[in-house]
Amino acid sequence: MRDVLLKYGNKLKPAIPFAGLILLAVVYLFVTDFHPTPFHLTTIINQVAVMAVLSTGAVFIFALGSFDISLGVAMGVSVCVGILAYNAGAGVVGMLFVCLAVGIGVSLVNSVLSSVFRLPVFIMTMAMLTVLTAVLQILIGGKSSLLVPSGIQAPIKAFDNLWVRLLFVGVYFAICLVLFNYTKIGRRNKLVGGSPIVAAQTGVSIAKQTIITFLISGTGVGLAAFLMLTRAQAVSVDTGASTGMDVMMAIVFGGMPLSGGAHSKIAAGIVGSLSIVLVSQILTMLGVSPGLSQVYKAVLFLAVVFVASLSYREKMLSRAIMF
Amino acid sequence: MIVQESGVITGISIAENIALGEINQFGKYGFLRKKQVVDKAREVLATIGVTDIDPSLPAASIDLQDRKIIEIAKVWAKSPELFIVDETTTAVSQRGRSILYDLMKQQSAAGKSVIFISHDIDEVMEVCDRLTVLRDGNIVKSLPRSEFSLDIIKQLMIGRELQGDYYRSDYDGSYPDEVVLSVKDLHGFGLTGVTFDLHKGEILGIGGMSHCGMHPLGKMLFGILQPQNGSVKATDGSQIKDVATAMKRALGYVSKDRDSEALIPLAPIRDNIVSAGIDLIAKGGLFVFPTTEKAFSKKQVDDFQIKCSSDLQFINQLSGGNKQKVVFGKWIGAQSKVMILDCPTRGIDIGVKQAMYQLMYKLKQEGVAIIMISEELAELIGMSDRLLIMKNGKISKEFARSADLSESQIIDYMV
Repeated sequence: MRDVLLKYGNKLKPAIPFAGLILLAVVYLFVTDFHPTPFHLTTIINQVAVMAVLSTGAVFIFALGSFDISLGVAMGVSVCVGILAYNAGAGVVGMLFVCLAVGIGVSLVNSVLSSVFRLPVFIMTMAMLTVLTAVLQILIGGKSSLLVPSGIQAPIKAFDNLWVRLLFVGVYFAICLVLFNYTKIGRRNKLVGGSPIVAAQTGVSIAKQTIITFLISGTGVGLAAFLMLTRAQAVSVDTGASTGMDVMMAIVFGGMPLSGGAHSKIAAGIVGSLSIVLVSQILTMLGVSPGLSQVYKAVLFLAVVFVASLSYREKMLSRAIMF
Repeated sequence: MIVQESGVITGISIAENIALGEINQFGKYGFLRKKQVVDKAREVLATIGVTDIDPSLPAASIDLQDRKIIEIAKVWAKSPELFIVDETTTAVSQRGRSILYDLMKQQSAAGKSVIFISHDIDEVMEVCDRLTVLRDGNIVKSLPRSEFSLDIIKQLMIGRELQGDYYRSDYDGSYPDEVVLSVKDLHGFGLTGVTFDLHKGEILGIGGMSHCGMHPLGKMLFGILQPQNGSVKATDGSQIKDVATAMKRALGYVSKDRDSEALIPLAPIRDNIVSAGIDLIAKGGLFVFPTTEKAFSKKQVDDFQIKCSSDLQFINQLSGGNKQKVVFGKWIGAQSKVMILDCPTRGIDIGVKQAMYQLMYKLKQEGVAIIMISEELAELIGMSDRLLIMKNGKISKEFARSADLSESQIIDYMV
């Protein structure tokens, strides 16, 4: 009986995050009396777009068995430099390239330094989080926020629509899907996440793989910054401050194993982002205060991690010997 | 119970490993009295006859074989009523084996029990009072010591009579002159001036005591460890400086430490097999398609008759023998022309061992050069065209394949 449960349990496991998402969608419909307005849906897509792009890129890092906690603040710096470039006359396309360059640049610094100094990626990004927070404050210049002057906002606002967001998320996700599932990059990421020692003894350069991974993730940071900029046309010292943790939560909600490796899934970013935004929306509509909402999300996160770690322990201990 | 795989926590000291589970008795006011932990560990090690391991050192600072001795000490310190030893002897040196056999005898003499799980028929026949043979998860038969017979046990283990020769039957020992790997004056990691050539289609055995330097040598040949001096050159004269270069020159390496260095336990068989040959199946050097991957993996699973529900089954659910087949499949799938095998038959049953020996001979006939590093003299004598014996980081003697070669002739050059 236990074997049958395990067998079917293992087959069904990949579907659990999707089932959770459907359940959340049903609950969301319930709290909106089954009449969600276009405003509701637009709000959800607006919120999901930025997080989905960041999370999808972060899946590559998670698959390596690591995490970049500075992702959110890197996006904040990218938004800030993008605004400065636009205000200096770079135009919208120029601003997009600046956002991408900053996102990729920060990721390159993270990955190269962690490779050169052989520091764990997570530790490197912790340090980078502090540095980038300071950089953001310096760039904003002692004020609480930096704005695109209202007189020149129109060209940016032209990109502030649902279809642009869906296009950006769709194209980035499609590229990541191909890279993760159908190229050596994704295969090797899972290999390193499974065991860096085995990967190294199978000819994989951990340093090279880390740098490629951060390039992909950095592109996501730049795109997310652009999407955020088109929506808000402003940046504050707090922009992206909690986004790193939100991304981590989203990826775990999306069914990503904590240790990375073979079970990593590229869809975890989008599924998890949708789930976490739906949770936030449901709590808001139920009248839960923002502070308490964070607590509920944290409890839910712990519950998901607990269930995921149970499954991990099962795998570590199971040994259905087959001679 | 002493487990088959590594049961030592490397991030803490040897003494703390030995005290695991009973660490609270060394606490006072919430603080750990480290000196007492170390003293107790030293005392425990002494009771099993080990005085040359400093228990205050980190567990990571000692090699795998000594770590196994630490596990033995840890279990023995608890004075178990039932002493369970799972495949431990394959992971320890001759000294470790002696210690373990002695403890098992002490346990038995004290009227307590031992369950000894092993694939090594000789040692089972040597130390056990009763033998229960399992196959495919079922008990096949239990035999009292008086009924122990090598042939009967082999037959019970594999479910049929062993067909053909166990080792190769010829004493030809010839191979082409073409040198495929040239090793010159290697120094570092305990090696002091190791020089030899490996030829196409040659099985070159390398034997010695566990600490003689042969295991680091295997890693150095594959570019995992970098020598202080000397060189390893492939057939085209290029120097093997790292694993990527070694793989480009069609070298493959089967690590002694299968579960930590050769396979990813929490990944499917397919991922593990494809990992070394991914460049062969990548379209345009980048794209990997699941259908190609599946076909690549299936060929190895079929060729090696790996027992699994599918190639998506996780490695940690396989037996030692099937795991080793996956490792071989990984490197043979990658079309390796030089195979460096470090203890290739460690912890696998006699049927799989025979299959591995037959495979090695087949590879030799196909022109693959093999370096077989082993602590089992019988298999070195049985399989090698040429045998290098190492002692204190040097090659102490070279033997050619011969029907007259015996273990006693070799041992003098090992110790």
